[in-house]
Amino acid sequence: MTAPTFFRVLMDLHLHMAQRRLGSLKQQSRLMLAVIMLFVLGYWVAGYALFRAGFWYLTKFPGLGGLLMDRMLYLFFAFLFLMLVFSNMIIGYSTLFKSQETQWMMTLPVRHTDVFRWKLVETALLASWAFLFLSAPFMLAYGNVRDVSWSFYLKALLLFVPFIVIPASVGLLVILFVTRYLHRQLFKWALFGLGTLAIIGAVLLVRPMDAGQLQQAEMISSMNQLLHNSRLALQPLLPSYWVASSMIAWGEGWGGRGLFFFLVLVSNAAMAVLLCAVASSRLFYDGWSRNHSQGPFRFGVTVLDREFAVRPRSSGLDRLLRLWPWLHPSTRALMVKDIRIFWRDTSQWSQFVIFFGLLGLYVLNLRNVSYDWSNEFWVSFVSFLNLGASSMTLATLTTRFVFPQFSMEGKRLWIVGMVPYGMKRVLLEKFWLSSAWSVGITLTLTLLSSWMLKLPAWMTVLFSATVVLMSFALCGIAVGVGALFPNFSTGSTANRYDNPAKIVSGFGGTFCFVLSLVYIVLVILAEALPVYWGVGVGSGRPWGIVLSWIFVSGLSLLAIVVPMSLALKKVGEMEM
Amino acid sequence: MIRTEQLTKAFGGVRAVDGLNLDIAAGEFFAFLGPNGAGKTTTIKLLTGLLKPTSGRALICGHDIQQAPMEARKQIAYVPDLPFLYDKLAPLEFMHFIGQLYGMDRAIVERASAELFDVFDLNGTREKLIETLSHGTRQRLVIASALLHNPKVIIIDEPMVGLDPRSARVVKDVLKERSRNGATVFLSTHILHVAEELADRIGILNHGKLIAVGTMDELRAASGVVGALEDAFLSLTREEEEAPVEPASE
Repeated sequence: MTAPTFFRVLMDLHLHMAQRRLGSLKQQSRLMLAVIMLFVLGYWVAGYALFRAGFWYLTKFPGLGGLLMDRMLYLFFAFLFLMLVFSNMIIGYSTLFKSQETQWMMTLPVRHTDVFRWKLVETALLASWAFLFLSAPFMLAYGNVRDVSWSFYLKALLLFVPFIVIPASVGLLVILFVTRYLHRQLFKWALFGLGTLAIIGAVLLVRPMDAGQLQQAEMISSMNQLLHNSRLALQPLLPSYWVASSMIAWGEGWGGRGLFFFLVLVSNAAMAVLLCAVASSRLFYDGWSRNHSQGPFRFGVTVLDREFAVRPRSSGLDRLLRLWPWLHPSTRALMVKDIRIFWRDTSQWSQFVIFFGLLGLYVLNLRNVSYDWSNEFWVSFVSFLNLGASSMTLATLTTRFVFPQFSMEGKRLWIVGMVPYGMKRVLLEKFWLSSAWSVGITLTLTLLSSWMLKLPAWMTVLFSATVVLMSFALCGIAVGVGALFPNFSTGSTANRYDNPAKIVSGFGGTFCFVLSLVYIVLVILAEALPVYWGVGVGSGRPWGIVLSWIFVSGLSLLAIVVPMSLALKKVGEMEM
Repeated sequence: MIRTEQLTKAFGGVRAVDGLNLDIAAGEFFAFLGPNGAGKTTTIKLLTGLLKPTSGRALICGHDIQQAPMEARKQIAYVPDLPFLYDKLAPLEFMHFIGQLYGMDRAIVERASAELFDVFDLNGTREKLIETLSHGTRQRLVIASALLHNPKVIIIDEPMVGLDPRSARVVKDVLKERSRNGATVFLSTHILHVAEELADRIGILNHGKLIAVGTMDELRAASGVVGALEDAFLSLTREEEEAPVEPASE
């Protein structure tokens, strides 16, 4: 079969299935669909308003407004490019080397390189759509403030096509080389090392502007500092530079310059695809075969293992969990199982490293911030911004990693469901385990960030207590909604829902995330309003904070109890 | 139709398939047996080109699966133990899709699908989404779709798992009929009576090595056991278990 025919057939198939999926939305609850639509619209409207306000603020800097706006665009695309490369690497690895569909395609009378090219397209779309969706308000706000014509948006859309091709090709090239020349266990460590290096590099190189100085009369030096610190985004060899330059030029009405950078982008995208095609013809099948032929890896030691299986770990983990004697043995066994499965799944692990890395980067950068703590505005603003950022990241983590836990048991559900204490214990174990690591991570980060921000003791206690409550509540929502709206495969053919990323992309995952965000907004509003109304701790009228705490505690309890009790009821009646 | 020459696959330091030599003729029904972890699925993956051999080669209809994969794969129908299906398609749509992938004429696909749906009792489900089908129905659909392009070589891994007796009978009859009509069937299974009932020859793999191959009578003679295949199989594999394991040299 020729490549164009293969592509056409697959394109028809996927369009057809996409229509089916859209059609099946009609069977979902209208209320939930409305909530999700409202959330999407809310994000776009709020995002647009915020970005627009930000851009307007920048335009007010005399003589520097345009420059700062453009710099924002360069920074935005540089960050987007980096995220797209990582996203393509992770999705590309799953799509190319872990997917049952790829394995099936490899047995068809189709060239391996054609399978690879199809998967390149699939990976690029899967990895990029969310970023484009999220960046739409930014682009609209930029266009509005720049007062561009409608054709600017069409050109921007056109620019996105070659722009998403380059990180997809770069990401898959990295994956091709890694799978061909590195053991997959080593890949996990390499990714971990790379992530650590990236964080260290970012901490050393990226220094946010000292916001305290903004308040003082050192505007020019602050601007200099900002422009100096963001100069990395102006590297002319970066694809993000070409796309931003083209967009800026088209925004200004300089058609020739815009077209030049567009063509630079297109030619480099074509070159990236060509490189990918050449590399795939030499490396893909070898890498595929190696990836599916590897025994266990030990540093520098050849392993002879009759069954090619990972040897059961000596019971270090068991011993650790035995330190908590009140844990029932079956709960401990479930915890050991969940931790081991998580550790051994490269795709889970790598995404966790990225999430955690971003959060760590944020906290580490707080050391560069020195606010004027006598100014009540900065105290309140930065503190609640910090709480909001941390809790949003936690909600993403719980939706991405905790929500799919129940669905991932899938067809193996009966194994854990048949234990003497049944499914309820399984669900409770997932709640406690996820809450434990969530509290561990968020409490550490909150204490660290409070220390770096030099927050007063009462605020550190308030935020620490809040994130502990939020961790439990968000895990309650994720575990509960995960069991109420599981995403199982319906049969024993290739279980596509072994991939947690796909479980999350379903209706239940979206609902879980929306519910988590609603909870976070309510908590932050409840804690911020007393400060805004002047009835907070420092006001001499602290009853406001007491009331808000009662509300937050009650709300968190509801967020745990309602989904968990509904889920426990459901799994108690579940037929396996 | 299927030929392997010193086919070897090493995983790390262990040979999952070790110097396998097979020669299976056109129209032959070959059953491939072995204990868990013997290397049966690895052999199948080497035959279908899913894995690259460490050494040796596999030929399908005279085409080396590594050197001429397209020519070889056109002749193969492969049904893995965990087959892949698109959940959001209906069975008939899936058949059309497979027909397109094999470059078949639409009218031929229609006719062949209708025949296969009759044989595999899939007519009642042709418009339903695959995600709603039971395991047995999915398994029948997978086998039907694999036979759509009239392959010369059918490689099938544990096809009877999850099938009810009637469906299992249908699958056995269809495979036997295809074999009588000239197709080579390579069936990997743990269900010994299926092998005994259908196979012209049986190969037994243990620790990656072909420890016995032949007709039922030849296997009985080799094992020194008079009786069912089960006794011969247990006798042959027990002897092998007692022999020392030789690690790979690489």
